Formats: sequence, C-alpha cells, structure tokens
Amino acid sequence: MNVYITGIGVISAIGLDAESNIRSLQSGQSGIKQSSLRSFMLAEITLSNEELVHRLNLPEKDYSRTTLLAVHAAKEAWGRNFKDPRIRSGFISSTSVGGMDRTEHYYYESKSDPSVNHYQRMVYDNGSTTEMAAALLGFSGDIYTVSTACSSGANAIMLGARLLQAGSLDRVLTGASEPLALFDIMGFQSLNIYDQHICKPFDENRGGLNLGEGAAYLVLENEQSLSVTGNQPLAILSGWDNASDAFHQTASSPDGTGAYLAMEKALNRARLSAGEISYINAHGTGTGNNDLSESFALKRVFGTSMPPFSSTKGFTGHTLAAAGAIEAVYCVQSIQTQTLWPNLHFSIPMKETGMIPLTGIRSRPVRHVLSNSFGFGGNCSCLIFSKP
Amino acid sequence: MYIVAASTISHQPTFRNPGFSKQITALTPPSTLISPDYNEFIPPLERRRMSDVMKMAIVCSIDCLEQTGLRTPDGIIVGTSMGCPIHTKKFLDKVAETGNGPLAPTSFIVSTHNTIAGQVALLLKNHSYNMTHTHGSLSFEQALTDGLLCIGDGYQNLLVGGADEEESTIYNMRRRIGKDPLHITCGASFFILSGNQSSNAIKLSGVRSYSLVESISHTIRNFLDSQNLSDENMDKVIFISAHEKTGEELKTIFGEEKLIDLLPLTGAWFTNAAFALHFAMDLWNSGENFFNILICKRFNKIIL
Repeated sequence: MNVYITGIGVISAIGLDAESNIRSLQSGQSGIKQSSLRSFMLAEITLSNEELVHRLNLPEKDYSRTTLLAVHAAKEAWGRNFKDPRIRSGFISSTSVGGMDRTEHYYYESKSDPSVNHYQRMVYDNGSTTEMAAALLGFSGDIYTVSTACSSGANAIMLGARLLQAGSLDRVLTGASEPLALFDIMGFQSLNIYDQHICKPFDENRGGLNLGEGAAYLVLENEQSLSVTGNQPLAILSGWDNASDAFHQTASSPDGTGAYLAMEKALNRARLSAGEISYINAHGTGTGNNDLSESFALKRVFGTSMPPFSSTKGFTGHTLAAAGAIEAVYCVQSIQTQTLWPNLHFSIPMKETGMIPLTGIRSRPVRHVLSNSFGFGGNCSCLIFSKP
Repeated sequence: MYIVAASTISHQPTFRNPGFSKQITALTPPSTLISPDYNEFIPPLERRRMSDVMKMAIVCSIDCLEQTGLRTPDGIIVGTSMGCPIHTKKFLDKVAETGNGPLAPTSFIVSTHNTIAGQVALLLKNHSYNMTHTHGSLSFEQALTDGLLCIGDGYQNLLVGGADEEESTIYNMRRRIGKDPLHITCGASFFILSGNQSSNAIKLSGVRSYSLVESISHTIRNFLDSQNLSDENMDKVIFISAHEKTGEELKTIFGEEKLIDLLPLTGAWFTNAAFALHFAMDLWNSGENFFNILICKRFNKIIL
C-alpha cells in the first residue's frame, strides 16, 4: 500500500509558507541572525504571537507559540481539504518541549512575584498544545502526540504512515511544531554545543548548533482517500524506520550504530538499494559529535558511492522536534522542483572522513530522497520520499 | 495481541504482589508511593541521579523481562504525559539562579520526554524501535496502540509502559482536568506485549484513544462496534474518570453491577490507564471467570 503525500505546509525563519521557504533555499538566504535574546545566534520567525493570532483569525487567548506555529503550518498543508464521512482522518503532532515557552514565562514571573497566581502556566503540556491546535483546525477523535526530542517530527510522520498502512485511518495531517524557549537555548549552551557564530554543519571547524523555531505538516493519504479527495500526490512516503543508538542519553555513538540501523531499515522497507538514493537531507546539526557520528553511519550505508548530501540547518537553525517535519517538506520540495538544497557555511572537510556536502544549489533528476533525524535518548529515525 | 507480563509501582502494594486487585482498597490522602528496594535493581550511583519516574520505569521494565525470561524486547514504547518534570523544574531553577554564568547540564540532559524510553534502551543495550507518546491522559493508550501496530508489523515481543511522576510546581493536574479535590498520585506500569499466547496471558482485542469527545456513550458504542462487540458481551467495565457524569453514563449502558470505579484506588495520574490494564489482568489471573473486560478512561479537559 502506498502512502501518498498530497499537501505540505511550513513556517520557519526562512519563510512563512512553503513557497517562500523554497525561494530562500534557492537563493541561499539563511534565517540565522544574532538575536536580542542574550545575543544568541537564533533562527527566529519574525511574527509575534499577537501577529500570528491575528493572521490566523483566532479568538484572543494566551496560546503557546507551539500551537500557533502548528496551526499556521497545518492550515497551509490542509489547504482546501475538508471533512468527509467516507474518509477517516486524524491529526498527529509532535513537539519536544510543548508549551515550554509559556510555562517558563509564567514560572519565572510567579517566582519573582509570589502574589501573582499564574494558574495559566499549568496547562501547557505537549498533549494540550496538540489538542488546542487540533480543536482550532476542526479535528476530533484520532489525535496523537509523540515526543522523542530532535527526531519527533520524523516519528510523527512515521506514525501517520503506519496508521494508514494498518488501515486505522485513510488520511492524516501530521507534523511537528517547536517554539524557541530559553530552557532549550540554555540547555544546549550548558552542554557546550551552542555555536556563538553561525553553524557550519559537516565542516572541520564546526562549533555546534544554532537553535531555530518553526513548524511543518504534511497530508498523508491512502488510495481510498485519494479516490475521494481527487488530490494529486506530490510524493510517496516509501520508507521509514526507527532505531535506538543505546549509547548515551545525549551523545551519538562514535560509529553511528543507531543512525546506520535506521537508514538500513528504512531502505529495506522502501525496497531500495543505497545506490538508488538521489539525495540525502542529513541531520547535520553542526555539533562535533553528531556530524562525525552521522558521517560514519552514512559511509557505512553508502560506501564509496555517496549520493549528494546536505544539512539545511544552516538555513533554519536546529528546530528540534520540528526539524524532521520541516526537512520532510524540503525533501518533498526537492522532488517537486528536481533540485538539491545546499549546505551553507561549509569550507573544510572533516579530517576523519573527508566528506564534502553539496555547497551550491543543484538541479538534477531526483527520484528518492532520504531524510535523517536523530535525537536525545539515542532516538534515530529515517524517512524516504519518492517521486510519484 | 497478548499481554504476557505486567509490573506496576504505585501508591498501592502492586509490585510483585499477584492478587493485589482483590486486596486493595480506596486510598486515603495523603498517600505515598510504595517503592520497592531500588538497590536490588539499580546501582546506587545511577540511582541517585534518577527521578521517581525513571526508577519506577526501569524497575518495572526489569521485572517484566524477568517474568518472561526475555533478554531484551523487539521494541520499547513509553506513554508519559509529563516525561521528566522534576528535572525540568530543576533546570528552570538553575537557569534563573545562574544568570549568564556556567550551567551544569545534568538536569537538562534528562529532561526530555523520551528520557525514560531512551534510558531503558541504554540499560538493555537495545537497538530496536524506541518511541514515546505524550498525549496527556491518553499517552499510555497511544503507546499501546503503537504496540498493536508493531505486532501487526511482525514484531514478536514489545516492552510497553505508562509512567508519570508527581510534580505540581510547574504543572498542575487539577487545572488540566478541571476537578478539585482530586487525589494526585503517581505510578508506572509496564507490560510485555506479544504476538504469541503463553500461560497467564490475556488477550488485548483492541485499544483506541479519542480526543475532544462530545458524547461518551456514542464513543463507547463506536469502539465496541469496531471490535465486533456489544455492551452485552462485557462482563466488567473498569473506569477511571474525573467527570462525575461518566459513572452515570456507563451505568445507563452497562448496568451498575458491571462497573468498577478505579479512581479512588489509584488516585489521579495521567497514565493510570496502565494501572487499570494490570488490574484487569490480575483479576483474571486471580481466578475470576470473565470473558471480556472494557477499560474506559476519561480525564482530559481542554481549555480553549
């Protein structure tokens, strides 16, 4: 059974919709800038929460940014689709910290002024950010939330595909949303993997990651659903899988065991050989550990015939849970436009591997695209997108 | 799909206590977690760094594997509403105290929701499928749904659990559920799900989570229909709900004598449907002659 992708939506520091994200990818325009927040290099979305509420025409309320970004991107992906009793539809969202943007705000505010009773902060768990988005989008019933740190987005898409394949649903709107939270910025800073300059994935002199915010959603449909909606497939989700690195809570194993296993399993599921992959959208966060570990895993899977690969984190920053979903949209767009996206700010190959990512935009036939997402807890997920 | 092993740590004497379903009575607040001797399972150095949810999850996981003689499962799936809120709060405090100075990353590292599933995999050196579901009070139900998908995909044995610890400073369940008073507790239940039957196994016919539900009776009938069952087929209905009306609605559908209201026995935590599943399994294995048990959990209140 094929899983068809018929809709995409994305909001990131390089664009408020899918079209403007493509334009930035094509022109090499990064969204990472020095922020007013403690001078960190961040990939921020220029719209404030109030502006998002206004643009989305939502009732006034103190929403988590996670919900607002989710609704913005999910609405774009959903497009002109509508409820139909003949199609069982579901909504899946993933996030790493959920409503931490609001939780930390209220927690700190009530700490500094104990007389303030900020009961509000108590309602921003992961599931509630999903349910609020679902309610605003008009979904009820089959609503799911997964959270596996930086691989969450890929796992949400994978869960959608599996629910379709098991016959539980016919159509899902699935993706991820992540706000910028001081909690995460200080967390990665405390781990000494936050680059104070712009990140340089796969470069010998890479100094860590820059965080970003964003959301992306995709519409997945089975044949039954397509026959009702008449939607045209943009791509097929042909492979997916997940494996555990089981090495360390935050660091990847030196040989990239989990990444290797996830890629192999996804290729097997897609019934593709490594040589058939046209392009790899790597996880490539820009940290010393991830990029080296991922490179060894890539070498183990692809050997000497390495397909063109790049990390788009130099554009969007690392958007944590949203990364897997945003990059899934970029993979679909790579197939749509038959274009490979560049890896910004690369100059010197790593001495251990000598691997050189794509540094400029390239047009070439794109049939199958592999996307990698790896997270804390050794969580490794891979998706494969194919031309319909 | 069969459940071939179960292990629960809670405010009740559930751990390694077959027949507990016949012994336990309603909790009287304030009750506390009845912890096993963690020394037996976790080295002291590691234990000190672990919050309640980690210790409960790891010990229940080890217990499940010992019951089945399984060395390692083919997948690890955890449902947790809040993940690791104790460490999350610790790191929030550290950030506030430290200002721009150097910060210790310890609490941040173990603050992600998937720390539980990740640490269990690390302990077992398990490289298989690893997933964490965090959909509020339906987190465990979604982990179980994932387990069904895995069995359908050909997996043999899965470790599936629900776990939540108690932390009310940064997050308050009462506000989320919208009921007060509510006796807040915590707990963890883990299970081995298998494609193959064994002694003491119970069959799990189906599981489904419904969000933003308007009519509970309509939803229950939908679910039973999807399983080709009707309300007459049900011998017992175990329910956990913070809504006063749920009991009344269930009584109308199933009749009062079939109902078991579990909330007074478990106290409230988001993944206590996992406790209910172990409770049902224990009832069966205590010699009760049931064919079908329905577990119904209704907690969430969305605040829009």
